[in-house]
Amino acid sequence: MSDDINKYFNGLLQKVSGLYVIQITDRDGVPLLHVSQEKNVDFALMPSFIPTFTTACDQAGKLGLGRNKTIISMYSNYQVVQMNKLPLILTFVGAENCNTGHILALEHQVEAYLENIKLAVTEA
Amino acid sequence: METQLDKVLTECLVQQDTVGALVANPQGLCLGAKGIINPNVSGIGMAISEQVAKLEPENNAPATICLYSGNKRCIIQKDGEITGIIYKHATESSNN
Repeated sequence: MSDDINKYFNGLLQKVSGLYVIQITDRDGVPLLHVSQEKNVDFALMPSFIPTFTTACDQAGKLGLGRNKTIISMYSNYQVVQMNKLPLILTFVGAENCNTGHILALEHQVEAYLENIKLAVTEA
Repeated sequence: METQLDKVLTECLVQQDTVGALVANPQGLCLGAKGIINPNVSGIGMAISEQVAKLEPENNAPATICLYSGNKRCIIQKDGEITGIIYKHATESSNN
């Protein structure tokens, strides 16, 4: 099962040009799945990276626009798309010119696979 | 601010058989959509146009892509920084 999921996310990584990393963690940043291209993007694994997103998400929820679903952060060399799929956090790291719209469109495609991981997290 | 964009999309929609139209920026994000079209297809449309452009890297003329499905046609054209995606009903003549 986990092999299937790994294979699927590796396939996704190949489909979106300029996408370096897909990472699934729990809300504390514990990595559950990590697939990456050869390019090393270490910052996505920094211990403070995911909890910072969780905090930002909670704060953004207070703006009165409803629950925050996605945060897109553009940097000079990278772009980071993080999706709030509690109890999971989905993180995509890509090149600065990577197709953001394509990454956002993956949200619905991965839903079925996330259900399996969610189940494992909630049971643990 | 987007009045001009809105006007262009409205003009697209009045064309024969057109169901929906949208325009996307270089990041694949939807700038505007009208009619029956999911704004989420902007990213995938951009990705398709980028892949098609690789078929003829020497050619600078914008490629027009036409995808035929059972009951609709999807037309994608990238021009400079903007990509346009139009959904049309598949007519009898277009299916032949």
